[in-house]
Amino acid sequence: MTVQVTPTICPFCGVGCGIDLRTENNKLISVEPQLDHPVSRGQLCTKGWNSAYGIDPINRITHPLIRTAQGFRQASWDEALETIADGLKQILVESGPQATGIISSARATNEDNYAAQKLARAVLKTNNVDHCARICHSPTVAGLSQTLGSGAMTNSAADLLETDLILVFGADPTENHSILGGHIMRAHLEGTKLIVADPRCTRLAKLADSHLQLKLGSNIALLNAMVKTILDNGWQDKKFLDQRCEGLEQLTASVANALEGVEETTGISLPEIESAAKAYSQSKRAMILYGMGITQYVSGTNNVIALSNLALICGQIGREGTGVNPLRGQNNVQGACDMGCLPNVYPGYQKVDNPEARAKFSQYWKTEVPEHPGLTSMGMTKATLAGEFRGLILFGEDPVVTDPDQNLVKRAFSKLDLLVVAELTMTDTARMADVVLPAASFAEKSGTFTNCERRVQHVQQALPPVGEARTDWQWLAAIAQQLGSDQLDWHDSEAVFREITQITPNYSAMNYTKIDQLQGLQWPCNHETPEGTAILHKDTFPIGKARLIPVHPIDIDELADNEYPLLLTTNRLHFHYGCGSMTRKSPLLERETPAGLLFINPADANDLGVTHRSAVGIRSRRGYVETRAMLTDDLPPGLVCMPYHFREAPSNQLTNTAQDPLTKMPELKACAVSVQPLEPGMSPRPIDEISALKVEGVK
Amino acid sequence: MKTQSYYLDHPNTLRNHLAKSYQIEPPEADSAKSTPPLISPKGQLFAEHENLFTFDGECFRETLPKPAPFVLFGVQSCDLTAIHYQDQFFANDPYYQARRQQALLIGIDCLSPCQQGFCPSVDAGPGVKNETADMILHQLSATSWLLLVCNKKGLNALEGLLLNPANESEFTDRDNRIASCVEQFNDDSYLQQGITAINQNQVPEELWQQLGIQCLSCSGCTNLCPTCSCYGTWERQDSNGDIRRQRFWDSCLYESFQREASQHNPTEEAGERVKRFWTHKFGDNFAQEFGRYGCVGCGRCEQTCPGVVGVHSVMKRIASDAKLDT
Repeated sequence: MTVQVTPTICPFCGVGCGIDLRTENNKLISVEPQLDHPVSRGQLCTKGWNSAYGIDPINRITHPLIRTAQGFRQASWDEALETIADGLKQILVESGPQATGIISSARATNEDNYAAQKLARAVLKTNNVDHCARICHSPTVAGLSQTLGSGAMTNSAADLLETDLILVFGADPTENHSILGGHIMRAHLEGTKLIVADPRCTRLAKLADSHLQLKLGSNIALLNAMVKTILDNGWQDKKFLDQRCEGLEQLTASVANALEGVEETTGISLPEIESAAKAYSQSKRAMILYGMGITQYVSGTNNVIALSNLALICGQIGREGTGVNPLRGQNNVQGACDMGCLPNVYPGYQKVDNPEARAKFSQYWKTEVPEHPGLTSMGMTKATLAGEFRGLILFGEDPVVTDPDQNLVKRAFSKLDLLVVAELTMTDTARMADVVLPAASFAEKSGTFTNCERRVQHVQQALPPVGEARTDWQWLAAIAQQLGSDQLDWHDSEAVFREITQITPNYSAMNYTKIDQLQGLQWPCNHETPEGTAILHKDTFPIGKARLIPVHPIDIDELADNEYPLLLTTNRLHFHYGCGSMTRKSPLLERETPAGLLFINPADANDLGVTHRSAVGIRSRRGYVETRAMLTDDLPPGLVCMPYHFREAPSNQLTNTAQDPLTKMPELKACAVSVQPLEPGMSPRPIDEISALKVEGVK
Repeated sequence: MKTQSYYLDHPNTLRNHLAKSYQIEPPEADSAKSTPPLISPKGQLFAEHENLFTFDGECFRETLPKPAPFVLFGVQSCDLTAIHYQDQFFANDPYYQARRQQALLIGIDCLSPCQQGFCPSVDAGPGVKNETADMILHQLSATSWLLLVCNKKGLNALEGLLLNPANESEFTDRDNRIASCVEQFNDDSYLQQGITAINQNQVPEELWQQLGIQCLSCSGCTNLCPTCSCYGTWERQDSNGDIRRQRFWDSCLYESFQREASQHNPTEEAGERVKRFWTHKFGDNFAQEFGRYGCVGCGRCEQTCPGVVGVHSVMKRIASDAKLDT
């Protein structure tokens, strides 16, 4: 009955907290925080504390499954792999490599993600590889790579306790990145100035020195007004601007009228703007953190650029306690990007359209890599509907539920000739597959995750895989073998990592031993920085000088009107992660809130005759859901808010599909809705029930 | 039984002897230290998840744990005090008692303060009290230890291990060493002021509300607190259709902890929940019922709280705000 303790990394958000798994007789009995972890320092959030429930063997897929006319039947790995290989071979012969592709997972390890893109590029010979980063921080990558040359968090979690001012812009870290949110609370209690810019009165806004409660979607107007105020008062960092930036003239000209009407546009008074601008620019060290409240707008990329402009003119970057810091949602979304699970880049962001990079990978993998540009996940969906894409391998994602275009994805997936899905549990996407493979959970495998501060950390196996489940890189390798390739023949996860370091410059001086010794390594970690890099852009930017790029306010796509008089935004709860597939298995977390809620100001509720916890219907131009109303002053009148964790009441039914033109990021943060109370005593109906009624009605 | 004392070259000598008849927790040798681990031994006696009974459609079946005899080796006085406290709370709990009866407790005197600890202020250390352990380890030098045997259970467990009896004078020297350790603890007058303020209801409501905003309901404090004992229950169905009722550690910081079926909740406000937690740890009413405060001074809540609502942070703020009040 000896209890074993295995140190590993929490599987939820991008903070990457240290978590110990206590097992007994190959069962997980509890989880514990790690006292000496460099980020989490003996702490976990409620999701972390409840993670044992999330991987409970109940509901897990334990064997490969093959679709038949009568539904799924259990199959051996040999048969499943043969079916997959035969299907792929036929598609490759008939339609070529462009008709195949892989969607990998920001929840899986770097090793899994590296294997996925290598299978695509070196075996299937296609650049069709992507993952879900597209709907969280694609505007960050698009924006910051233009202005700074790199889309990652510039500084480290530890900097939160070594700064003079923290500006939290469009982010709710105490709920979504709770341990970092905690660091911010601690820093603030110890004297660090805290400014929160958010349309909602978040937990941090309640504690902050100043809450800039801007109107929904008025980010650029506010940021440009701050830039203008700083330039007018001479508060900018002239030396930094001279030596390290270009484009000041254009920027200065572009904000000439930024103060006109800004109070009306943003709802923030000029003295408040001036005070925030002064505090940020005049602090010795000031740090910007931001999240989905910046990126999930039609103006997402420009919002990111506006933030970057503010930091650059004040020289608040490249030093401890400064920087522009996107908070990343998933445990390994940074790693999945680093590993090149994107159609346009190889591992380490080496560009596919660069002939030198292509030659490098062809030589290293000893096979010609494809030249043609790859498709994004959305591109694969569209190509499928156009009859040009036929075979998809997908793991650790449930796009049928989580993609903004649910119906489109569903139609495309049912048209595929071969859909292979590897998963922990039977998701809606897995139900559509031709072959389902049982995947090992984070506690059942070894490898590395890269957290949002670019720290590569060691994930260690504590439990044997459930049933016949395999680690993702293992079954990806088995598919390669079945296709006659030895490209993915690794002995263990450490061998995969060794290959990663040989071909990924930012990872080149890393190895498992050093990662263990130094409690993770932050990239870039190469021969010049063998112990990693805590702060980016210290002396220079990857693009030489940073670029100041003029951006102008863009209205949200859908404004409130008579028919839809309220604006809806989305948020996340401290208690749940993503679609809730893991957190809702906890009896404690599931008890904490109703299965779906709408936050609404008491004044709006009173006008509508809605009472606390009563059932309401919410309608937008795109859909209708029912849920429970929670009356709260955290929202100003006119603005309501829904979390997206609950499949009973998915906010995706309501949200706008208008997109950021550059990155295709949908405007998930703003749309117009109407709210109606349901009959007293009625319970909200789950979306499945509402949809079924709709179909009947049509009949 | 009068306490007996022996010399011991190293705790591992005792560990190796006990390993012949007991499972030892923690399993690693050289675990006898003057710093309590982040995780208290609470879960060894009050399991984080456990079956209470099963139902197969016809019969209810008891699922009492049947652990082999085990030793909790090198437990610090704070955690032993907590076990002593839990022994009262779970006196009639058959699941707890099934484990407790099989447990042999080997305490260890702390001779230097740990980072977050304040056991002397709440009468829970740093020296182990006889009634809380079966044996006590006390370090004399790098190569010499004192072993105190507190009761018959401890004496029986020693059978077969030949040790030299210790001099009577060692008792006084031990007391002196513990007293000198007490002196090394930081000034914690704010704790005493905080306790007074809590019991005299002098803590401003606004402060509780402020602390409530900081509390993320993560459950870390209640999970790590060695005296927290609240649990919830749920039913789970196995693949063969059997129903298992399980209990799991709950936390009074969750909003839903006290929510009633009607949705009425006496502690809907987070500040009320934070207030209740600290009143339970330092309330005089609880002290009367259990013979001591619910807090044993381990300081783990300070370490694990992401919201800076651990014991030191809270009591410092209470002491300063309550003072302002008077």
